[in-house]
Amino acid sequence: MTDGIKRRDFLKVVGAGGAGATMFGCSTERVEKLLPYVIPDEETVPGVSTWYTSVCGECPAGCGVWVRTREGRVVKVEGNPDHPISEGTLCSRGYSAVQGLYNPDRLSSPLVRGADGFSPIGWDEAEDLLARRLDEGDNHLFLAGRMGPSLTNLVEDFLSGVGGVRREYEGLSEAPLREATRIAFGRARIPTFDFAQARLVYSFGADFLETWLSPVEHHRGFSQMAGVDDHGSKGRMVFLAPRLSLTGQNADEWVPLKPGSEAVVALAMAHVIVQEGGDAGPYYQRLLENYDPRSVEEASGLPAEEIEALARQFVEDTPSLAVGPGVAGHHRNATAANLSVHILNFVAGNIGRTVRLQEADRAAPAHPYGELASAISAMSDAGVVMVHGTNPAYSLPVGAGFGQAFASAGFRVSFASEMDETAELCDLILPDRHPLEAWGDSNPRPSLYALQQPAMQPVSTFESKQVGDVLLSVALRTGNDFGAPTFFDYLQREWQLHQSRLAPGRAFDEFWRETLRKGVVVSPDAFPEGPISLRSPDAILSFDVPDLDGDGEFALIVYPSPRFGDGRHANRPWLQELPDPVSKVTWHSWVEVHPAAAERLEVRTGDLVSVRSPHGEVEVPVWTYPGIREDTVALAMGGGHESFGRYAQGMGVNAMDLLPAEVEQPSGALVHLATRVDLVPTGSRRPLATIEGSSDQHNRPIAPAVGLPVLGPVEAGSQEESHDEGAHGELKEIQAMGGFAPVATEGKPEDFPLEGSRYGQYDPEENPRWAMSIDLDKCTGCSICVTACQSENNVPWVGEEQVAMGRDMHWIRLERYYETVDASHPGPLDVRFLPMICQHCGNAPCEPVCPVYAAYHTPEGLNAQVYNRCVGTRYCANNCPYKVRVFNWFGFTEMAKPGDEPSVAPAEPMNWGFNPDVTVRSSGVMEKCSFCVHRIREAQNRARVEGQRPLEDGEVIPACQQACPAQAITFGDIRDSHSRVAQATQNERGYRVLDEHINTQPAVTYLKKVTFHEVDSGEH
Amino acid sequence: MATVLNEKERGALTHPDVESFGQVNRDILKILSRPGKGWWALFSVAVLGVGLFFTCWIYQIITGIGVTGLMSPVGWGVYITTFVFWVGIAHSGTLISAILFLFRAPWRQSIYRAAEAMTVFAVMTAGLFPLIHLGRVWHGYWLIPYPNSRFLWPNFRSPLLWDVFAVTTYFTVSAVFFYLGTIPDVAAARDQAKGLRKKLYQVVAMGWRGTDREWHHFGKAYVFLAAFATPLVLSVHSVVSWDFAMSIVPGWHATIFAPYFVAGAIFSGVAMVITLTVPLRKIFGLEAYLTVKHFDAMAKLILLTSLIVLYAYMSEFFMAWYSGEEIERAMFWNRLFGDYWWATWTMLVCNGLIPIMLWFKRIRHSIPALFVISLFINIGMWFERYVIIVTSLSHEYEPFAWGMYRPSLVEMGIMVGSFGWFFFWFLIFTRILPPVAIAELKEVLPQPLRGSRKEGVA
Repeated sequence: MTDGIKRRDFLKVVGAGGAGATMFGCSTERVEKLLPYVIPDEETVPGVSTWYTSVCGECPAGCGVWVRTREGRVVKVEGNPDHPISEGTLCSRGYSAVQGLYNPDRLSSPLVRGADGFSPIGWDEAEDLLARRLDEGDNHLFLAGRMGPSLTNLVEDFLSGVGGVRREYEGLSEAPLREATRIAFGRARIPTFDFAQARLVYSFGADFLETWLSPVEHHRGFSQMAGVDDHGSKGRMVFLAPRLSLTGQNADEWVPLKPGSEAVVALAMAHVIVQEGGDAGPYYQRLLENYDPRSVEEASGLPAEEIEALARQFVEDTPSLAVGPGVAGHHRNATAANLSVHILNFVAGNIGRTVRLQEADRAAPAHPYGELASAISAMSDAGVVMVHGTNPAYSLPVGAGFGQAFASAGFRVSFASEMDETAELCDLILPDRHPLEAWGDSNPRPSLYALQQPAMQPVSTFESKQVGDVLLSVALRTGNDFGAPTFFDYLQREWQLHQSRLAPGRAFDEFWRETLRKGVVVSPDAFPEGPISLRSPDAILSFDVPDLDGDGEFALIVYPSPRFGDGRHANRPWLQELPDPVSKVTWHSWVEVHPAAAERLEVRTGDLVSVRSPHGEVEVPVWTYPGIREDTVALAMGGGHESFGRYAQGMGVNAMDLLPAEVEQPSGALVHLATRVDLVPTGSRRPLATIEGSSDQHNRPIAPAVGLPVLGPVEAGSQEESHDEGAHGELKEIQAMGGFAPVATEGKPEDFPLEGSRYGQYDPEENPRWAMSIDLDKCTGCSICVTACQSENNVPWVGEEQVAMGRDMHWIRLERYYETVDASHPGPLDVRFLPMICQHCGNAPCEPVCPVYAAYHTPEGLNAQVYNRCVGTRYCANNCPYKVRVFNWFGFTEMAKPGDEPSVAPAEPMNWGFNPDVTVRSSGVMEKCSFCVHRIREAQNRARVEGQRPLEDGEVIPACQQACPAQAITFGDIRDSHSRVAQATQNERGYRVLDEHINTQPAVTYLKKVTFHEVDSGEH
Repeated sequence: MATVLNEKERGALTHPDVESFGQVNRDILKILSRPGKGWWALFSVAVLGVGLFFTCWIYQIITGIGVTGLMSPVGWGVYITTFVFWVGIAHSGTLISAILFLFRAPWRQSIYRAAEAMTVFAVMTAGLFPLIHLGRVWHGYWLIPYPNSRFLWPNFRSPLLWDVFAVTTYFTVSAVFFYLGTIPDVAAARDQAKGLRKKLYQVVAMGWRGTDREWHHFGKAYVFLAAFATPLVLSVHSVVSWDFAMSIVPGWHATIFAPYFVAGAIFSGVAMVITLTVPLRKIFGLEAYLTVKHFDAMAKLILLTSLIVLYAYMSEFFMAWYSGEEIERAMFWNRLFGDYWWATWTMLVCNGLIPIMLWFKRIRHSIPALFVISLFINIGMWFERYVIIVTSLSHEYEPFAWGMYRPSLVEMGIMVGSFGWFFFWFLIFTRILPPVAIAELKEVLPQPLRGSRKEGVA
């Protein structure tokens, strides 16, 4: 969000709402029928949104959110602009929180295991049972994911009372990074990385735009770095990894390293830098002598000259930044690899500049798997094992033996709110609340404290109870009184301590309300970086390329999914149907194989192969991908759930089945890059539900780019002008004769309204012309806008079968075209992204062909679709050159009825999450992007209520713009020549897709991507 | 009507065995008596087809249009293909009865009744398809401009609306024209029928007595309607072609579409007439009235229109290349060698290659050969529309949005069922109306001479 956006009035309601929430949460009692309020709730104004601040609970990164509620129900989450981590945006997983809250597969009551499976049990009984088992046994174990600080403290208190220990386990743990930081700098913490400051980024496989540490924060920093600025300069990224993740696709250069060779390459670069004057301290100086670029050629598959050039570049373009490897690169020497990257950063002088050690990332999960492994081996002695916020039965390799060990424990309790794989093994399930209906806090940086507050009464369909409340209540039953009847009291007590430090001298109530209103408190304390030096390692490390198990043909990369993370978001249809940003595949899993390797194996995309490692075997369809080395294949985490809910179950395969349960030393992390595999074609096919038609632009000006060298003031192209004049003249002649002819325009603000446009009885002088610009140099293809749009506009999901038929309903199609992707040698990389939405053409081909005027042009320049009037001829979609119109082939928003066969249809209470401002479309009608017309109206109405003031530029923000972490999207009135969108249209990189071909006069101006290499022609 | 032929011409158009007007009456009206087993067998198949048609349609209405294979980017498929196919079939009826009438082509007399019936039933079939393909068929009447309190009118700029007008107009005019032509024959049938049938014919014949005055008026009306229907033959299919030509889809947006579609329609229509009359002739023993000469004339018409259609194909490909427009070129390249190559080559072989055989007189005079060729043309013309619609849509401007359409069983069911629906009406027609025009046949017979034959004028 930038300065133009003002939502003071939202803040006002948020303030009032926040204060109220402390007393009564919010307002819905169990609403079963539509009944008017007898005594209206003061906070709830029908038709007006109430916003609450909170903390996103979808991953541990700790982004701040604004939760939008309507009539007491959560309908959307958006990023909190005041929160320094999220700064107004979230990731797709964050936006899908609404589907977590209203997930039909949430458990409706506590369950206890009897002789014939689970049966419901009352909360009182359940807590009694747990208290009894805790009293009976000892040596209890609490397995937890990353939790907020207050809950962590409560769990510790609880365990000290009942006797037990807490073990933290997250599927995506960055333990090697923390350990490497400890070894190198003596501080056991996860540093923060300042991408915005950097001019050059070397990512050794860290997918920092998708899952690595704090993706939303990195995203924003990266787009600031990589987007070309007004002076025609832009930062560069080089991706050094065997497989291109989405982050990799955004790089300017790809160095396809051999798997596991990050350490030697980083050290060889450091070697070059030190030789040319860098300082690494005596110990590392000696170490680096062994890593001459020549000596690592073999191990890395990279010519020495290349390494030298990369090294020199790294100290030339300062500040630079090297990051990685991420979870996908956690091999047997992962700590050493992270340490090597630290050394490289150190010798290039980046520590303290782009790598911050003081302002550490406290939220990032960094607990080693090793601790869990030892807990597993001791589990048979444990009395009660409690599991919260983690799903080891799914996310650990089979070899970890979690299942057997867990079975041997005395009593097993899960706090899962959905029946996940671990809950299925438990004796008692006490369903937790969703973060949007629960209290909590977060402390993602030493200086940042944020409060998570319930934005609505718990969804009445489910009898859930917050884990903190359960622990306090059970503690009382076991005779431990922590002096807090509810977790809310406990939280306030914790925050009284914070207050004494963060805001000494203020009344607590005032501080509390202020924090709730804003969502976050920033500590006044400074965290100076201070001098940092490299320490000699206190552990035995090997920097060599690690061995991989087995003698298979391919190295296997298992990477965190940008959609499901470690798998915890798999039961959300929005995410299942979100085309993977890299493969564009929905719902199912796939194994990525280089096309040349696929040819060798005689398989093509969609052929089922058996992937065999020494540790397991999965059958999965092939997806050929030029962005992976020929000797490597890759599988995403997060698929293959055996339990967990209707949307996740049976979708894809669990990549962890192929891995050994091995502990990396010395960090204790689980080894992910561990094994080689063979691919054996099975002879059968399982076509993948992809939205990709062709990944080649076929020389069409869809997503052109411009080389950085040629970017600059362009001389007035007189030739082109005169050519256009001729065409214009001819059209004008036709118009003069009374004929209907399109009006050609360059899209300049003063051109609107277009001469001869038909406005009916409206006065175009009074009306704006809404327009959008999308900077493709900033767009990273992350697809967050797709999920945000889906949440905002009640866009249905359709299921795998329908997507495979080509019937996906997304209003935004994130196109991905390969220009230069070459795994065979390092060099320039060029992948183009283009979010294709309705272009709201000034001369729209869809409008004249609709026989019933369902597609028509509003006086504000919007290309409107009247759902009620649509009869479903689909002529508009045929005639849309951008193919952005999607059709309701069935009643995709119709709810599954109880007793229906299991399907992907939405089920109660998912309908609670519909946005009441947007119509839910029925079967047989066309729909498409509306430029969030309801948000335009909302802003206009607000301006009218506030004394008929004119709308300010930037006051109307469509959902996609709101969600874009790269801030690539600008929206506004193009007739206001001072508006940012009008200025963006005038940018020399501006172009309108296909406009020159078919004169559609789109309202969307794209700004060409800027590449470092030269592009072939003017068009490309 | 007023066709004046010399003796030689007359002799060539009917078999020498046909000696008297009375014999014509008997031969033709015999068809209307008790149906044989063959008719019942065909009729049962047609009824099954009707059942399939409506079962599939009702299932589609209840479940949603998604039971088709349609998707993005291919929003039109088998339904619109079949619509255009039936509209095309509907063409030759009016062509044969109206245009050939105005041009005084005497060979039309024997076949025009069947061809006209085919026209009416083909339009009745075609007219259902725009409804079938709607996402919300229950709102289909919104395409009709009817006065309403909200002043909501259809969009007169939309070619689909023109379609509504073109098809309904064509149906009305051809139905009236068809009915008018049957009046004297119905009167002849009335004179022989008994019971309920007689009552029915009495009403339909509107008291026709065959007076000179009536014949005079009849002739005038017939000429007038023929002249009125003639431009419609050209306009209907032109309008249908504009559904495509008015769009900006590469492969649709071409100025040649109107003449191309009209020629194609006549091509397919005449082929369908052959497909229908060959069994008709066999089953009802009309060899004396439908002679090789008739088939020869139709074969020549097919040959001509086949050449026009082939020319249109060539010019489309040429223009795509000549335009230099990459997107257009890519589309046509894809049409020939892409995912749907088999459909394109089926079309080219059936419509361009196979009719070349008609240059040979031996083939034109072989009824079985003509029947087989006409079947190929029917298939080829169905594929022509399929190729135009599907290949163009599947390979448009945005490469990332390209996609492949595969028809579903429901679509195939409705397509096949539509033949059942068509034949259902056509078979009923052969039972209740003389499928060969009795009155006009007599015009090509030698004039009866007083005393030379035993029987007189009927």
